[in-house]
Amino acid sequence: MADVLLEGRDLTKHYPVRKGILQRTIGWVRAVDGISFTIERGKTLSLVGESGAGKTTTAKAVLLQEKLTSGTILFEGKDLSHFSPAQLKAEYRPRLGSVQQNPWSSMNPRMKVRNIIAEPLVVNKKQTKQQLQSRISELLEQVGLSAEHAENYPHEFSGGQRQRIAVARAMALNPSLVVLDEPVSALDVSIRAQIMNLLKDLQEQYNLSYLVIAHNLATVRYMSHTVAIMYLGQIVEYGEAEELFERPLHPYTKALISASLLTLPEDEDKGVEKIILRGEMPSPLNPPAGCRFHTRCGEAMPECGQSVPPLRDVGGGHKVACNKA
Amino acid sequence: MSKVILRVEDLRSFFFTRKGVVKAVDGVSFYVCEGETFGLVGESACGKTVTALSILRLLPEPAGQIVGGKIFLDGTNLLELSKEEMRKYRGRMISMILQDPMTSLNPVYTVGDQIAESVRLHQGLQGEKVDEEVISALRLLKIPSPEMIMRNYPFQLSGGMRQRVVGAIAMSCHPRLLIADEPTTALDATIQAQYLTLFKDVQKQTNVAIIFITHDFGVVGNMCQRVGVMYAGKIVETATTREIFKTPKHPYTSALMDSVPRLDQKGDRLYSIKGQPPSLRDLPPGCRFFPRCPVAEDICRQKEPAEVEISEGHFVSCWKVK
Repeated sequence: MADVLLEGRDLTKHYPVRKGILQRTIGWVRAVDGISFTIERGKTLSLVGESGAGKTTTAKAVLLQEKLTSGTILFEGKDLSHFSPAQLKAEYRPRLGSVQQNPWSSMNPRMKVRNIIAEPLVVNKKQTKQQLQSRISELLEQVGLSAEHAENYPHEFSGGQRQRIAVARAMALNPSLVVLDEPVSALDVSIRAQIMNLLKDLQEQYNLSYLVIAHNLATVRYMSHTVAIMYLGQIVEYGEAEELFERPLHPYTKALISASLLTLPEDEDKGVEKIILRGEMPSPLNPPAGCRFHTRCGEAMPECGQSVPPLRDVGGGHKVACNKA
Repeated sequence: MSKVILRVEDLRSFFFTRKGVVKAVDGVSFYVCEGETFGLVGESACGKTVTALSILRLLPEPAGQIVGGKIFLDGTNLLELSKEEMRKYRGRMISMILQDPMTSLNPVYTVGDQIAESVRLHQGLQGEKVDEEVISALRLLKIPSPEMIMRNYPFQLSGGMRQRVVGAIAMSCHPRLLIADEPTTALDATIQAQYLTLFKDVQKQTNVAIIFITHDFGVVGNMCQRVGVMYAGKIVETATTREIFKTPKHPYTSALMDSVPRLDQKGDRLYSIKGQPPSLRDLPPGCRFFPRCPVAEDICRQKEPAEVEISEGHFVSCWKVK
């Protein structure tokens, strides 16, 4: 059996929409609507989808920044809802790290790099100044910077270097799981490769698990072991990265892959056509009945508007939610 | 071969700041033909947008100035025009689409009003004629039920629709040249695919020449016939898209391509270009890429390479390419 670090079971997050003087609830935004996933130790799970798919809400739920409407998160087999606040602080939060998308807004511009990296250490651990100092230098070197950089301020660094500092901060407490929310999409093309390689090296060295949120499929294929494709708060396809990219089954996955494939001029000669979806993602306030994707699906059948396709296993852990597959 | 509509020759645009001169664009030359899409590719701060703004003569003066070169639009050197004459070219002859529709549209006017503004100003139309033009611009960008959408405010539209409205404003006066500065970067993947297909249609209908600024080779392959790769204020390689993908010659071009993960290939480790682009205030002598170049030699450190045409229409500035 695989070594599962974190498991999400049937997670839902609905936000109320309020209106009027009395702030009556007039509807619910179904940001995340019944998703389940597992993250294995030392492996990467990526959540992929367009904006509004519920990726970030899921990540926030794992980081306990959002309270779930329903569902359970199991960490090393233990249900987080049974943890007391003190237990969460001592046993769960220090095991997590997080790297945000934009390294220009994720750091306090008035703090020195030393203090940025030291913060999680100071909050969570008792240690001497020397220990702290040597840990900071160690972390900086791990991410490809040097110990002298500790005395500088964030504005003195380029985007790629800042993202390295963010990674160092996430690594400070030797976490088991790091949540990476679009870790490279704010960076320049030539710098992205550096950061992705760094993240992969760290994963190998420390047997880290990653929960990656991304919309760039090529990045996802390069980074992940398991991939979940999300659409309007639900997982429409789930499986091992290689399997999923080689044999996509859901029409939405196919369209996403088609849209992200590098178009070469030769393709036009060969008559390779891109799948162009019609319309846009419907509002999560009022998702379509039946399969949520049927309004844009090129292969939709009449029953897709009525019956909700369940996420079925089609073999080898490859799951898909489509009436046709 | 169709007619050349824009020819930029040895363009130099500098920014004069207290800390020194920033050579944002330093000797850029290229041309665009009617009905053609020319891609300008490069990382941030390599001078793509400053090149675009120079063509429109919209650099933030007095800090930013065009210090040399020529820009011919349909035979007229734009740099010799007076300010008033130049205003007549903007909008009517050249227009531009910016990256983020949320910041390029005015939130307190309806989209119809915003399209009408350019129609009134540049075409001198009035009354019902304006509405007709507005609707036909919205139709060109395939916006459903334009009569209704024109009364909406930007916040009522989705990101993809907003960017179409920006496209409608740009196309409303039938320009000869359109500069699109990362128009799809803020859009989702499937919406981006829609938008690019739409723009190819618009181009077929209007025969407009497009300069497409992007950092994404995927978009280049999809949209452009020819492409110029920029690095630190210079175009280091120009060629047809086909040749760039098949036989990239400049070490920067090939390194950039290798460092982008490909969806159709499984890779264990990405190639990464060491270091970072140089500061434009303090450029290295010789070739600008040599500190990061895997094949640099002594001569690269000392002298700047000249542009060489290695095959028809394929220009490279590199000592190692002959």
